[in-house]
Parts: sequence; structure tokens; C-alpha cells
Amino acid sequence: MGVVTSLRAANKEREPLTAARSVISLRGVEKYFPVKEGTLQRVVGHVRAVDGVSFDVRPGETVGLVGESGCGKTTLGRCISGLTQVTGGRIYFRLSDADAARLDVIEAIAASERTRDQVRELKRIEENHRIDQLEGKAWKTYRRNCQVVFQDSFSSLNPRQLVKDIVGRPLRVWNEASGEELTERVVSLLESVGLRRQHMYRYPHQFSGGQRQRVSIARALALDPEFIVLDEPTSALDVSVQAQILNLLYDLQRERGLTYLFISHDLGVVRLMSDRIAVMYLGKVAEQGTATELFEDPRHPYTEALLAANPDIKAKESGMKGLHGHVPDPASPPEGCRFHTRCPVVTPVCGWEVDDAVAWLQDHEALAEGLAAVERRTNFDATLVFHTEEAAASAVEAFHKGDVPPVMRSALEEMSTDGRKVSIKFSPVPPVELEDIGGGRLTACILHTSRGLRI
Amino acid sequence: MIHAVDGVSFEIRDGETLGLVGETGCGKSVTARSFIRLVPTPPGVYAGGQVLFWSSDARREGRGPIDLLTIPKDEMLDIRGDRIAMIFQDPGKALNPALSIRNQIAEVFYQHRSEEILHSLGPWAPRLIRRAARQESSGFERFLLTLPPFRSRAEKLREKVDQLVGHALSEVQIANPRKIMESYPHELSGGMKQRVLIAQALACNPDLLIADEPTTALDVTIQARILELIAELQERLETSVLYISHDLSLVKEICDRVAVMYAGRIVETGTTDEVFSNPKHPYTRGLMAAVPSAAHRRGELASIVGNVPELLDPEPSCRFNTRCPYAVEICRTVDPRTIPVGESQSVACFAYESDDTDVVLPRLEAWVS
Repeated sequence: MGVVTSLRAANKEREPLTAARSVISLRGVEKYFPVKEGTLQRVVGHVRAVDGVSFDVRPGETVGLVGESGCGKTTLGRCISGLTQVTGGRIYFRLSDADAARLDVIEAIAASERTRDQVRELKRIEENHRIDQLEGKAWKTYRRNCQVVFQDSFSSLNPRQLVKDIVGRPLRVWNEASGEELTERVVSLLESVGLRRQHMYRYPHQFSGGQRQRVSIARALALDPEFIVLDEPTSALDVSVQAQILNLLYDLQRERGLTYLFISHDLGVVRLMSDRIAVMYLGKVAEQGTATELFEDPRHPYTEALLAANPDIKAKESGMKGLHGHVPDPASPPEGCRFHTRCPVVTPVCGWEVDDAVAWLQDHEALAEGLAAVERRTNFDATLVFHTEEAAASAVEAFHKGDVPPVMRSALEEMSTDGRKVSIKFSPVPPVELEDIGGGRLTACILHTSRGLRI
Repeated sequence: MIHAVDGVSFEIRDGETLGLVGETGCGKSVTARSFIRLVPTPPGVYAGGQVLFWSSDARREGRGPIDLLTIPKDEMLDIRGDRIAMIFQDPGKALNPALSIRNQIAEVFYQHRSEEILHSLGPWAPRLIRRAARQESSGFERFLLTLPPFRSRAEKLREKVDQLVGHALSEVQIANPRKIMESYPHELSGGMKQRVLIAQALACNPDLLIADEPTTALDVTIQARILELIAELQERLETSVLYISHDLSLVKEICDRVAVMYAGRIVETGTTDEVFSNPKHPYTRGLMAAVPSAAHRRGELASIVGNVPELLDPEPSCRFNTRCPYAVEICRTVDPRTIPVGESQSVACFAYESDDTDVVLPRLEAWVS
């Protein structure tokens, strides 16, 4: 314990956990990756990996981030841990509730109309808390208090270094310890994650997957951080080893008062480990709530679908249900609800657009061959150009009589033929935003929010 | 010498799905690969045992089962992909990135269905076309096939194969197979690639399908659809399936019978209901308790201590003795035998031996499940 106390002393900036503040606050975080094309590598679009995510992580809690691959959960974890620059939005570290309230007031005012005091206040908050504007001491405090455990323990540990060097590295970088003391600190770190002194002089490849993940955790704990991003820490492990690691993570959290962001695609694991959960779909949060509520009473069809598809060992009756429909291109996600293309309870006002009509055509061999070009005016309004008039006529007929999803047909506002050209028009819908539906629950499904009640 | 698979015996019946579960490195994949001799020898050695395979053809013609470990190599080539097919874990790696989807699936037909294809084209075919249908054409022959006397026949052959490929793709519910046929693996999503692999595996209507963790690389929503698809095709084509997985909850959902493997041996078999409602072997119980569920409290997940032992020239013993909380002396010195414990359930554990021996047997009563 002596080591732990000295660690706490070294980490003086630490406030008591009871302080009314968040550890990490996200405000509309965006991360876009450019899509380049051609010899000159011209930027032709952006993949919106994270597209406007906001939530808070409070001290001592575990926030779960769950979603399918490609939904942006790992990218978000990397943004939070400062491993990559955000494209837009802001991430605050240790923002007190009072500051957060002040910030909200100032941000609501247009930049040109802020008083000098407000501008100064904003500058003070941003310099002290906004992670991409931190400098000097504040930046260092953030770095040492925000650690990451990666999914693949093979590629996140240097194969040419001994475990002693890997785990001791943060201590050396921060001049926390050297020589004999460093060795002892490394030993105590290894012991806290269930490894022993003799493991210190081994290379990563000499360990099993579970043990390597323990080494990763020991490294993350070396500077006694406040917050750890756990990016799928157990997805490469067997169930029996996974159970060991999950128990270890929980024990460490209780002993050291850690705050976790737990990223995983495994619903069972996330449910077990998290206090609150955010479900992500295509870069946006679809639903947010406490773990129990979210699992027992999901308020978004995507959450329901994930639960229905997840095999449960304790379930009495069997039956897993998958999702039908296209996964949209993340470079041009739907303007309305992003989940409408696969949603089992979709309505005509969920944001049907030209892409859906084109995707449906392309699923039909005969119709797809006739389609020559799509002249897009907006996402909801376009002209489909066919090779021949017959092809255009048969497509129109298919739209009226064929196996078009009935919801899509009723969403189609206008359809007119002019020779080889067919204009289609859907009614435009505004983007679906995450909305508070009371009791600390947020959802982005119009069936559960105020907008849905209006229709 | 590593004993990766050590005295494994089980049977897969007609039309059933057998789940083979166990942790990484317990020999599941090596067992399955041994079925169709995909383990490279050397360094591998098939040190003993038999893999008896009774194909539907053999049964129809009144022949007995054959031992897949001893038949000549060319016979094995005929069976692979035709009577026994395999779906691999990572669809990204199992498909050849340089071949279009059409060519990958066409290969199966060229290999196993060339006679039928030629027959459907007409009573007689020149040698050049025969060789083309078996994918044996040399470069010069391929050039000849583009010239007038052979061109129309070569095109017909191609059309016929395309038709078969299109059919195979539509079987796995791929919309617009013509479009997919032209694409290359990198253009498809993970779920789509796995569908292509399934189409390839089921192209010749095999008697046995070996699915080696086919959905591990996929998301749950996609996984559910792929499993629905396999189940539906299995029912229609009456294929037997050996389903390898480390995911117990998944195996519970889709398998008729389960074999639990540990360190190269089968420790427990039985119908899915029996094994999951009343697991007997300490390892099976440990595995099941380790799966997180709503009933678990945080930090109280039951885990199995320790790791899978190394299988370097193992001594006779129960392989689980190093991790078993009930191990006694006999577990460390004698190989356990398989004991029937239920209607079709059997387990390899000394705790279920009868008491009329002098040795001390482990007691499982204290186990809290």
C-alpha cells in the first residue's frame, strides 16, 4: 500500500471524487476522415466516423459505448484519449458543473454579441479544460490522467521490450522513479493485475492473450490515472479469461476509484460492466440510458435489434433475429434517421431518400441494368435516367406494383415519367437529434420523442 | 511433439448440427481440418485413429463408409469441396483477393461438376473444351478457345457456369447476383463475403459442412442473419453441419448436439438440452458460468483460474487437472475414460466413476453452479 499512497501524493492535482464535475464532457464531437480519389488525391468526400456526439462521464462511473463495427466507437475513444484531433466539437476534461453551466450560457450567445467578461470567461474555461487547447501543466495533467487499454494486446505492446520496460516506461518518462525504486513500482503494478515478479523479465510474446492484456492494464495504471479508455479489452480473449479480466477491471476500479469508458460490441459484457450506456449507430448516439433501463426497456429500434440478435445463454426460448436491409455508406449517411434503412418499425417520415430507391433498384437485376444515371438535386429529389423508355416504364411500374417496401412507397411523394427520365421526390425531413425523454434517458427515434407524438 | 488432438471420438449424424466448443488452442480447428486432411504433413502427423465418412452416394450404392485418413490424395481432392465443404472463420482471408467472385465460385464447378456441365452442353465435346471445363487449359489452348471454331462452344460453357454461379449466389439470398459476380472481395462487406463463402461451400450440395467459427468476425445483427441462412439451407439440402465455436450461447441456439473440447480431448458430449441444462464436467460448468449475463453482479463473474496447458508430450492425466478446483491424486496420474451419464450424455471425469474402487475420486457436490 505504501507505493499506492506515494502515488497519490505524487498526483497532487487530484481533487476529491465528490466534487461536482465530470471527468470527460463531450459537446457535439465530430471526426471526419477525408476520402481521396485520383492521381492528385483530391478530397471527394468525408467519412463521418463520429458525427456530433455529446455525453458526460462522471467520476467513478463506467460508461459503456456499444455498437456494430464501423459505427465510430473506437474513433470516439481515440478522440477522447487525445490520440487523434477532432474535426469539430469540443471535449472537456474535468469540467465542473458550475463551469459547464456557464459554458452553456455563453455558447448560446452568438460570438459577436458576447460581452468582454464572457469572452474572458470562455477563454479561461477552454484553456483549462478543453483538451485540444490545453497547454503546459494542464496538458500534462490530462495526459497522465487519461490512459488507454487497446483491443489487440499483441500490437499495443512493443515486442522488443521487456515487460519491465513496458510497464516502467510511463514512470521513467515522468521521472517518477528510477533504478531500484522503479523495479519495485513495476513489481507492485504487476502484482496488482495478478502477475508476479518473475514475469518482469519476459517479452510480450511469452505471454498468453489474457496475461498480455494484464500487462497492458498494468501499464495504463502506472501513473495512477483517473480515467481509462478500455477499447474492447476482452474481445480477443476466451470467455474464461475474459471473466478474469473483467473481474480484475472491476476490482481495480473499486480500489483506485477509476473512471472507465468501456467500448465493446459485446452486449453481455457492456451490460455487466457499465453504469450508463450509449448505443452508437453510424457515428451518432442512437440511445443513451442506465444499463438496466436500456436493456430492460429499450427505446430505440436499433437497441432492440441488437438485443434480439444477441444469443443469450440463459434465455429459455431460443431465437435470434437479424436485421435486413442495406447498411448506408458512412461517407453519405441518410439525412433523416440513419437507421431507417434497416429499421423493422420504420415509418414514412423517417427520412426515405433517393439512395433508398436506387439501392432497391440495384437489388433487381433487370431494373439495375436499365439504370444509366442518377441526377441528384437534393437527397430527397432526383431524376433517374434509364437507357431506354421501356426500362423507365418498367421501373415505374415496379415502383407501383412490385415488392417495394410499402413504407417506402407511401413515403414517395411524387413520381413522374418523361421519356427515359423518371423524377422521384420524397418529402424532406430534418435530421433526427438525440432527445431527452425523461428519467435521464435519451433517444434518437421519433417513435419515442416529441416529434413522433406530433404525427 | 505437440498432441493437438488426442484421442477424439464423436459422430455426426445425418442432417444434424453438432457444435464443437472450447477455448482457443484446444484443438477444435485441427480436429475439423483433419476431416479433410488440411493439416500440413509434415510437420503434422496423423498418429492414429480413423475419420469414417459415409457419403450419401456410397449409401445409395450400398458401399460402406471410407476412412478419410487413408484414402489416396486424388480421392481426397474429389471429396473436398464436393462431399465435405468448409466455411472458414475470416471471410476476408478465405477469399482470393485477386479473383472476382464469379471466378472463385466457378472454380468449385470446374473442379467437381465438369462432367455434368459438359453433358448439359451436348453429347460430344472436343478435347479442348473438355480440358477447359476441367480448368486444365494451357495458355496456348486458352488462345485457341478465342478463335472461331471453338469460341461459341467456349462461350456456351462460360454461360452455363455463370448460370450455376448465379444460382449458387441467389441460394444464399444475395440480391442481384450478376452484379456481385463481377465484384472483387474487397468491394463487399463482411457479411456479404461470408455469404459468398457459404455459396461456395454449398455449391455442390455437400453431405457435411464444416463451419469453423463462421460468424466470429461479424456483427451480431449480421451473425443472426448468416445463422438463419445456414439453418435454412441445411434443412433444405439435408446437410450435416459441424459447427465450431468458442461462443457457448451461440452453440446453444443453433446446435442439436454439443461436444465440449479441452486440450485436445472431448470432455463432454450430449444433446444441447442435456449439456446446457445439466453440465457435468467441471470445465463445461466453468465455461458456462463465465459467460456474462443479466444475472451476474459486477466483479463476481466466475472464471476458470489458470491457462490451457501446453500439450508437449503430455503424461497420462485428466488435462483439466491444473485448473480444476476438485482435482485429486487420480486426476493427475490416470487418463479419464468416457462415462455415459445420461440418455445420450457422456463425460470424461473421474467424479462420475462408480465408487467401488480403492482410489479417492473427486467430489463435485460442493460445486456451486
